[in-house]
Amino acid sequence: MHPLTMMQLKIDDRILLKVEKPAKYTGNEWNMVRKPLDKIKMRFAFCFPDDYEIGMSHLGMKILYHILNKRDDVYCERAFAPWVDMEGLMRENDLPLYTLETYTPLSEFDMVGFTLQYEMSFTNILNMLDLGRIPLFASERTEGMPFVIAGGPCACNPEPLADFFDFFVIGEGEEVINEIVDEYICWKESGESRNEFLKRVSGIEGVYVPSFYDVIYNDDGTVKSVTPKTPDVPARVKRRIIKDMDSVDFPEDIIVPYIGTVHDRIMLEVFRGCIRGCRFCQAGFIYRPVRERSYEKLCEIAKNSFESTGYDEISLVSLSTSDYSALPDLCNNLIEFTEKENISLSLPSLRVDNFTLGLMDKVSKVRKSGLTFAPEAGTQRLRDVINKGITNEDLVASVRLAVSGGWDQVKLYFMIGLPTETMEDVEGISELSINLIESCRDVIRQGKALNITLSTACFVPKPFTPFQWEPMDEMEVLMKKQYHLKDLIKKRTKNIKYNYHDAKISFMEAVLARGDRRLGKVIYTAWSKGCKFDGWDEFFSYDKWMEAFSECDLDPKFYANRKREYTEVLPWDHIDMGISKEFLIKENQKAYAGDLTRNCAAGCSACGAQAYKTGICTKTKRGLIYGENTEV
Amino acid sequence: MAKTLRFRFSRGQKLKYIAHLDILRVFERAVKRAGISAAYTQGFNPRQKLVFGLPMSIGLTSESEYADIELAEDMEPCEFIARINKGLPEGLKVEEAVPRNTRDNIMNQIAAARYEIVFEVKEPKSLVEIEQMIHDFLSKEDITVEKKTKKGFRPVNIRPLIYSVSAEKMAEGRFRLNAFLSAGAENNLRADLFMQAFCQETKLEIEIVSMHRKALYAAACNEWKDPFEVAND
Repeated sequence: MHPLTMMQLKIDDRILLKVEKPAKYTGNEWNMVRKPLDKIKMRFAFCFPDDYEIGMSHLGMKILYHILNKRDDVYCERAFAPWVDMEGLMRENDLPLYTLETYTPLSEFDMVGFTLQYEMSFTNILNMLDLGRIPLFASERTEGMPFVIAGGPCACNPEPLADFFDFFVIGEGEEVINEIVDEYICWKESGESRNEFLKRVSGIEGVYVPSFYDVIYNDDGTVKSVTPKTPDVPARVKRRIIKDMDSVDFPEDIIVPYIGTVHDRIMLEVFRGCIRGCRFCQAGFIYRPVRERSYEKLCEIAKNSFESTGYDEISLVSLSTSDYSALPDLCNNLIEFTEKENISLSLPSLRVDNFTLGLMDKVSKVRKSGLTFAPEAGTQRLRDVINKGITNEDLVASVRLAVSGGWDQVKLYFMIGLPTETMEDVEGISELSINLIESCRDVIRQGKALNITLSTACFVPKPFTPFQWEPMDEMEVLMKKQYHLKDLIKKRTKNIKYNYHDAKISFMEAVLARGDRRLGKVIYTAWSKGCKFDGWDEFFSYDKWMEAFSECDLDPKFYANRKREYTEVLPWDHIDMGISKEFLIKENQKAYAGDLTRNCAAGCSACGAQAYKTGICTKTKRGLIYGENTEV
Repeated sequence: MAKTLRFRFSRGQKLKYIAHLDILRVFERAVKRAGISAAYTQGFNPRQKLVFGLPMSIGLTSESEYADIELAEDMEPCEFIARINKGLPEGLKVEEAVPRNTRDNIMNQIAAARYEIVFEVKEPKSLVEIEQMIHDFLSKEDITVEKKTKKGFRPVNIRPLIYSVSAEKMAEGRFRLNAFLSAGAENNLRADLFMQAFCQETKLEIEIVSMHRKALYAAACNEWKDPFEVAND
């Protein structure tokens, strides 16, 4: 009864040897899971809507691949967006998109799951479904066809993609994916209809079935309400989280690709969440509360992963590794092991201080080139607005330390277009950078000057941040700021190399991030016009997107550049990410007042995450139990 | 027991889609997975002391590739084979290993390679016709092709790099060329460039089905030698 049609494709060398890096399409990597198909009750295709080299760097996929394949009754396989050369040959030769494990077309799977890591990958989803011969719209899928599902950070506002997915999974997937699979196997045996399965999963916490909700709009185009069609469907879908990071399964037998990928190393996930609460940062809010793994567990994972993969590099992964409470213990234990085995240890997301510099001296076998700092804004005023608790003096001291330690190049990251930003703030970026060069003159090697690579991203307001109501800067304003900064730097120094993001891509990202359900037809139209790999400068077509908007009679600026009232119903209000709207409003007001909010380690600010009763919310510090004694 | 070994390995269908540097990395990781203590280079970025005889381009299979590895401790060649094969994926297999004492590493010793190239012709041809083409091809003194170098394309006369060519018929319209070509760090002629030249000169229209490396040779005392034979010169 299971569609084990054993439809294995044969991919001809005449295709594979014509494309760049054919190993992206052949699988067979070390640790790839192989399973006899006769015991399998559910086949799951995990899809990453971007190139193999990006997708294979993604930790979330490794985690879910491992969790699903631990079960004897499930086989999880992988598919990626084929690069344009391969896509062309696939279409020419009538070859459907297939998984790398068994060369099975996507349409043969029980469930096809996409991870939504960034908005600009949305058209690739449509393209992959189309190549996989699955109807793009959920409403067009009938009995026997795969269920198409999605999760990941962009699922926190699932509305722009609501037309294409049968359901979304909100939050962390390790536990809920097993509940979904169990339900699927029961449903499959029951012989019930497709719709019955959707009803079953809509009862699982964290599952959002968009077709079970009615969206009503006001005359001005804003959302009036999003309400369940039937009373048995939850009015708000609650995000799932993992409570104990030490007991949840973490992959040690990860796939080792043959070709180089972006993050081609063992990734040790030190903790989830971030204590900082920078007001522009979505990740800082949607992954709360901070939950750490113990350093003992991390060392165990490191050793087992090494034995299973043979990787020569381990990287610590988190949103802010310096905030890990057992960092010295972790590093000391890891270094002992990595030195013995000739493994290099990389430590991204570290604040620079004496401890970390000493650490980097110990672990870094590479040239002293790439230290990165992210002040995000050029003036203290604006840094206070975004709650980036870092001062000019901190930055100067850190960079001086780094330079004394032998680094003569740093990267600086800023954002342009932050709420309340003036030209003075933009000029502050150049002031701050030049000041850094001058401040390091006495500690740098003679005849040298500090070299800075300065990058500015365009600020994109995101759901579930205190800036979710804010208008994005108009594109022309962003460009004016970029050019002004470019001129300023050019006039003042040769030691700064300035890069900036394409404001048009950021504009589209802003539209999709805070869009509503009506954007489904725009995404579809854009894809029909050939939009794909929109995150890649060489493929992004602003004009095609604008044509799509006008054909669908929608205004992109309505989504990107409009200031929302606190009272407006936001398209994602029926998703409960565990952060209260009251808190976000308060943070928004504090931003305009330039007031800082302390970090979670210093004291609780009652964001709402304390309701999960785990992680840092339950840690005692200075005699306070956070979450219970909440002083704001 | 030896600290430095020379080994022969094969690369099958499943591993033919990856480039030379990727193969190198697969071996480095296999060594680590197998728990073999390799010797490392000094410096900022220590690498295993592992040297390959001749790069393999994407698409090429081989039954006879060679590499030299230096270990941190003595090991029996048979133990090395057993252990590293456990760390290698399907499609790569170490077949033989011997102790090595030469000063010259394998990369400097390799001088020739034997290839089997299977192709299909677009218009019907007999074996005799193909053989005549080979004869005419080899009679030329100058066969200039555009060789891709780091600085772009450069014309090279590859005729001196072709030692012998013969043909066999596999099926109707399908032939195999057995080509013995110069190889190595200095005068390498890749099988695909050879085929490009062959088609260019003979105006033969073909589609390549497979390219396979049959053997690699070292040159010593005016003779072609098995690389194992010169592992202890």
